[in-house]
Amino acid sequence: MHAAIAGAGIMGRLLAWRLLRAGWRVSLFDRDPPEGGGAAAYTAAGMLAPWAEVESAEEAIHRLGLRALALWPELLAELGTDGDFHQRGSLVVAHAGDRADYRRFASLLAARLPGAEHCRALDGAALAALEPALAERFGEALHLPGEAWLDPLVVMSALARALRASGAVWRRAEVSRVGVGFVEAGGIRYGCDWAFDCRGLGARGEVPGLRGVRGEVIRLHAPEVELCHMVRLMHPRYRLYVVPRRGRDFVIGATQIESDDPGPITVRSALELLSALYSLHPGFAEARVTATAANCRPAFADNLPRLLAVPGLLRINGLFRHGFLLAPALAEAALARIAGAASRCEALFFEEVPA
Amino acid sequence: MWQLADHELDSRLLIGSSLYPSPRIMQEAIRASGAGVVTVALRRQQRGGEDFWAALRELDVRLLPNTAGCHSAREAITTAQMARELFGTHWIKLEVIGDDYNLQPDPFGLVEAARELIAQGFEVFPYCTEDLVVGEKLVAAGCRILMPWGAPIGTARGLLNPYGLRTLRERLPGITLIVDAGLGVPSHAAQALELGYDAVLLNTAIAQAADPVAMAAAFRHAVQAGRLGFEAGRMPERDLAQPSTPVVGTPFWQQT
Repeated sequence: MHAAIAGAGIMGRLLAWRLLRAGWRVSLFDRDPPEGGGAAAYTAAGMLAPWAEVESAEEAIHRLGLRALALWPELLAELGTDGDFHQRGSLVVAHAGDRADYRRFASLLAARLPGAEHCRALDGAALAALEPALAERFGEALHLPGEAWLDPLVVMSALARALRASGAVWRRAEVSRVGVGFVEAGGIRYGCDWAFDCRGLGARGEVPGLRGVRGEVIRLHAPEVELCHMVRLMHPRYRLYVVPRRGRDFVIGATQIESDDPGPITVRSALELLSALYSLHPGFAEARVTATAANCRPAFADNLPRLLAVPGLLRINGLFRHGFLLAPALAEAALARIAGAASRCEALFFEEVPA
Repeated sequence: MWQLADHELDSRLLIGSSLYPSPRIMQEAIRASGAGVVTVALRRQQRGGEDFWAALRELDVRLLPNTAGCHSAREAITTAQMARELFGTHWIKLEVIGDDYNLQPDPFGLVEAARELIAQGFEVFPYCTEDLVVGEKLVAAGCRILMPWGAPIGTARGLLNPYGLRTLRERLPGITLIVDAGLGVPSHAAQALELGYDAVLLNTAIAQAADPVAMAAAFRHAVQAGRLGFEAGRMPERDLAQPSTPVVGTPFWQQT
């Protein structure tokens, strides 16, 4: 069987990998080279936070996120990378002015996910024992011990390497159309048994109802700060995370703006992100800003992903803020569907975008 | 039906479009609220916001662009001019922020911007405090509508100064008054309408509720109840209890 995959972001690459492992021949089409480009994956912070997402997302995101979290370690092992993956849990903290948001977060989580084991309230002493760097400024926290993170840049390049080593054909061309049994790219029509459309916002011409949601992140090197957990800081407008990377590097993000402008980060967003970061720990004052990035995430009106399937064509889109959180579970569901089996997310499958 | 500027409206609820879990939930909540006017922020989305605005236009409501995030009269005036072009409306909710921590309006910049925008043909909806003198200056600048806060934006504390709001209502009888910001629960909205306010404008109380669509419906009913209560004419408050059944015939051993 031959698969043609349009779009080599995280969804396209993971799907390609799973199809190769299942014995398919795979061709990937993307306007960008394997090393980098405009994919939303490159600006993702790589949080795998299915519990914290319960506050703002639908139950399906939580369920698929749990499944993906279970799949990631095995996937990374197959790819021959550690992916800078860590399942060390996250801590949720709030400044005095955002106490109301913190209480709201805690009560929504408790109402939607009954049971104590996935969310523990820590007092100052418990927080100091678990994450001393935060105890200087925060007297309490919520601990979500199952949450994890990875480094999207490491994972994206490991996928590119593994795909090429396994014989995937990588065609660097602008995709103009994807239909049943074909991908049209660079003016040439390529036939296949199944076409997969994983273009994100690039599919807007053929997938109605997609919109872009702008997100901005900042990367830093902060030798004075040691964090063992992913940290979520309550903010009135954004879901702000600080994700530790190897070698005292950190990522903070992301803003969430209803706009499909992919231009560079704005002064206001940089101020908001950096003041939030500095407010976590004074050691961030002398951190070096190593990069800023902005991108637009593809989303449908309900912020849920969709799998649009007819025989010979499957479009997967609308992963929004949840690319790394969902992609392994959606790839699994896609493979189940083309093999004629039921998937774990039948409710997200449609023949066309529902009105 | 009531008249807002020169526009006939059914609902006395105006609603914001920020902070909902998704555009779909926003649309459902706005429909459930019955609101005929929806505010929309421009400052951060002047580039690339078309898809989001399209979701609002589908609702068949009147859009009220705002100048949220502006800190000077000049900035607010420029944003208002862009809003007029983008949305094809001369309505503008004028916000000039004087303090970043509680998003308190700057009354001086507000009056200056209102005067200029009215001269340019805008219908100005100024977000102000309940201060009577500021209200009078805005009216002197040409405003027909005032939008005093109930409490600072997003605090959900309700009407912090009912006395000040009542004074404004009594002293500016011909002006359309809308409580904007600070409401948390439906009873806050009812209270504003009971005071004789023409309408309320709110966002966070609905968008950040555990179930925004249900909360939107609750506010819809509260606004109707508050207005009916005002129109019905309340009985005055008294210092002593006045039983509705005379106590004259009560046996003496039951009178303590």
